[in-house]
Amino acid sequence: MSELLNYIWLGVLAVFQGPEIFSLFGFGIPAAPVMVLGGLLTGIAVGATPGLAGPMAMAASLPILISVFGFTPDALLPVFGFLIGIMKGASVGGAVPAILFNMPGTPDALMTTLDGHPMARNGQPRRALRIAQLSSVTGDTFSDIVLFICAPFLAVVVEAYLDLPEKTALLILSISFVAAVMGGSVGRGLLSVGLGLVAAFVGTGQALTPRLTAGVDGLADGFPLVAAILGVLILGEIFKGIEELAHEKAAARAEARADGPRLRDDLEKGDIRRIAPYIARSAVIGTIIGALPGVGSTLAATLSYSLASRRHAARRRDDEPAFGKGAPEGIAATEAANSAVSGANLIPVLSLGIPGNAAAVFLILAADSIGGFNPGPAVFKFTAPEINPELVTAFGIFTLMSIGNLLNWTIGGRFMRSMGVLARVPGQILLPVVLLLTLTAIYVQETSLFAIWVTFAFGLVGYLFRRIGVPVLPFVIAFILARPLEQTAREAFAATGGDPWFLFSSLTSILFMVAAVASVALLSRK
Amino acid sequence: MDNFLKPLALAAALALAPAASNAGDWAPPGPITMMIGFAAGGGADTQARLIAQGIEAKYGWKILPQQVTGNSGLSLAAELAKAPADGTAIGMVVSESLTYSALAAGDPNLQLDKFTPLATTASFELGLVAMADGAFNSWDRVAEAAKAGTPIRFGIASDRQADVAYLFGKSAGIDFNIVPVKGGAGVMNGLRGGDIDIGWVAGAQSKAVQQGEMVNIASGIPAKLKDSPDAPTITDLGSTFYLDGYFMFIAPGNLDPAAREALGAAINDVLNDPATEAHALVAKGFGGADVITGEALDTKMKTLLDNAAELLEKASAN
Amino acid sequence: MSRNKADLILGGLVVVLALLAILAWVPNDSATGMIVKQRGRLLIGDAMAPVVGFSVVALAGLLIIVEKRKAGLSAALSPSNLRFLLLFIGIFVLSILLMRWSGPALVTLAKAAGLTDHTYRDLRDTIPWKYTGFIIGGTTLVTLLMSYMAGRVTWRAVLIGLLATFALIAVFDLPFPDLLLPPNGDT
Repeated sequence: MSELLNYIWLGVLAVFQGPEIFSLFGFGIPAAPVMVLGGLLTGIAVGATPGLAGPMAMAASLPILISVFGFTPDALLPVFGFLIGIMKGASVGGAVPAILFNMPGTPDALMTTLDGHPMARNGQPRRALRIAQLSSVTGDTFSDIVLFICAPFLAVVVEAYLDLPEKTALLILSISFVAAVMGGSVGRGLLSVGLGLVAAFVGTGQALTPRLTAGVDGLADGFPLVAAILGVLILGEIFKGIEELAHEKAAARAEARADGPRLRDDLEKGDIRRIAPYIARSAVIGTIIGALPGVGSTLAATLSYSLASRRHAARRRDDEPAFGKGAPEGIAATEAANSAVSGANLIPVLSLGIPGNAAAVFLILAADSIGGFNPGPAVFKFTAPEINPELVTAFGIFTLMSIGNLLNWTIGGRFMRSMGVLARVPGQILLPVVLLLTLTAIYVQETSLFAIWVTFAFGLVGYLFRRIGVPVLPFVIAFILARPLEQTAREAFAATGGDPWFLFSSLTSILFMVAAVASVALLSRK
Repeated sequence: MDNFLKPLALAAALALAPAASNAGDWAPPGPITMMIGFAAGGGADTQARLIAQGIEAKYGWKILPQQVTGNSGLSLAAELAKAPADGTAIGMVVSESLTYSALAAGDPNLQLDKFTPLATTASFELGLVAMADGAFNSWDRVAEAAKAGTPIRFGIASDRQADVAYLFGKSAGIDFNIVPVKGGAGVMNGLRGGDIDIGWVAGAQSKAVQQGEMVNIASGIPAKLKDSPDAPTITDLGSTFYLDGYFMFIAPGNLDPAAREALGAAINDVLNDPATEAHALVAKGFGGADVITGEALDTKMKTLLDNAAELLEKASAN
Repeated sequence: MSRNKADLILGGLVVVLALLAILAWVPNDSATGMIVKQRGRLLIGDAMAPVVGFSVVALAGLLIIVEKRKAGLSAALSPSNLRFLLLFIGIFVLSILLMRWSGPALVTLAKAAGLTDHTYRDLRDTIPWKYTGFIIGGTTLVTLLMSYMAGRVTWRAVLIGLLATFALIAVFDLPFPDLLLPPNGDT
């Protein structure tokens, strides 16, 4: 126990005594907390801009951050700080254009338009924004606390009870689960996963002659991770956006215009008491859904909204607005749920190295680029006599998240309410500029035009996926997990002395394998 | 501010740079691309970047480091072979890349004689490593357990290491379960997680050994390890091969001899100057600088190549 | 094309390509088979993982053929999608080629005019040469895409393209002497 407290303390110290960003009156200002603030503000601004999303900002800022802080373990906390800030900020900021202009700033904020925009039209945009911020931050904070408690526990259990064959089976289970739950059909989810696996296997075999390169020298070390991920995730989205903007040249915008009489526009007495139970239930739903890899915040928001809607309909007094007509409970339910997803999503990332959403993918990408921190069960090893630096980093990350929440509570709302103007930046400028920014960022990291062509090719894949209804996130998750999966399988096979049934050698691994097959089989019948 | 003015100053210096004829005043005709065959952020990468920094500071040559990883250094070799042989393209690999790996892969364009070795920087402190509090913390305990029929998981990070482990086991009468993992870090993680029992690590174990978490149960090089002077060498235990090697810089084949001499001297100069950060890093993390250049390096590489050929022959004969 | 038919074609195509890969591509383009015997032991070879991957793809293709479709999912690309793709690929390729070659071309011209006696490779870290390709190629990319969306070429688009490249130079190049903007790592 005292060891745990010691590590928590070391994590806090690592954040506040890390590298200094500048000094003020002779006192060094630590970089990490400042970076959280910078990330949070960036995230809110990006979230508030329709057409931009958190992952895009994370993608663009990562190479700049790495250049500033370098490839040393000291760089980990400031870089994570900024990325976590973006993650938290974007989920708050997404509500701004959803409420003010009926345009979701991020896909997660779609359900927020249902009640947020009507409330704004009824003359209370400020009240809607405050409710959104309050609910979002509460949900986020709750799920972070669950993360702090569960991730170390889960990791210790995994490391203590799982040998190489079980670890292999667990990876297979995660990938199958992602394939089964994401996207409109299991076939399409599985296609996305299969292609992600195959793409990751290009060039990366054990033998000194690389495989599946079709004779291309540049592929000897496989597709660069950043090129594949940013291509499918970011470029694909940009391509689709450009095509859509070209087709609807003059996009009509719904303005927030007060229809009715001018109302007092702020939180009303009793608002907090009214929305509290909705926030609580939605935060729990979001946290549970977030902890499962691949099940997105959109599902959490939809589920919470419909449950809240049923509860609200049963209890509503006649003078209160119904769901869809500007009910504060509606805003609260969706915002609490989609924000609660983000913290819980880091449970499988930190304890198992398995990413569940785009933000988690970028944290893994950052850790992979910088080095010195490998998300997975080995992180949570409370070794004596020496200090485990990865564990200190993990508790540093928890500290950064707490700082992020604190900032979100205090100044996030004020900053968010000033962001309405961003919704007017036209996508026609934004998308080409973001495209050039992403390509430049990739080049700076890979220093090869070949990587740019690869990124473009993956961008086309991402575009085609979106057009024919194949989900893109399973592709990315499979791409990230493919190499660990093959590596663990090789190790397990060799370590068991070449047992072909190593995946079925213990009860645990059999259970994982059965669950993997069941998730695909059952969900495809649905 | 320094950063903003640096490109301008260098541009001015470049415009004034005269054409050189002999080694003493050889200067690169433009910026030097330094390809690094190791993952960004690791010890070897840091070493390369600090050497680049040192050369820039001492000689005013602009160096542009870039990562070219993969395939045991052969990806870098393939890329470097395409670059001009005028001293503006160099690469950092391990000696194993152009000896064992090149021979095993068999591509005639990537063999040692197609490149110009410039200088070694440090030698491997390669040990056979186990957890200090584990069941295999000495060679005797490993041998005993193997005799008793316990399967022993032996972590390796390259084919060469696997071959030596295999032949070592054969000569000691032990049939190891040889487990291929990713790099020395993979071996150490595997040891910590209990997934493997023993494994080769080429120097990264130093800190863990000094802190008493792990032990070198044997030395894999033809000398005692600096951290564990009491550990026997693997040849004491019956192995006929070592796993010795170097971190080193190479250039494309047929490099101008003046450029070769000047670049080798620059690397030597930076690594042996106690004032440089590169010197400090190599002293702390790599057992000290070990710079070999010129003909001595050619001889050394020839020996390593011959050993590698013999190892490949012995290992594949079975 | 009806939705059913599009899905059938997609699924069928996926299955056929996956089988081709398993039977023809993987065996011919990996150094070891699915299982190899090395040092007296059996090990997983380099062909194993790709075969498993392509099997998953083939299974996915079968599922796409047989499973019930949900509303809103369609495997069909419209002719307008294809037109967009062609145009877009054209714009992209043109911009990247300009980015790669306009710098060296300018240096060749300057050399002919007697302004420099270096090659582009020697000048890849020297202002202003090192920015030429990035500015020309980057501005072309932004300008052409904006013009495509707006349906006409405007000076405003050119200006935004220039501003964007200058901003990126300020962010990535000025503060970091070791970072290379495109295409300077390839020369």
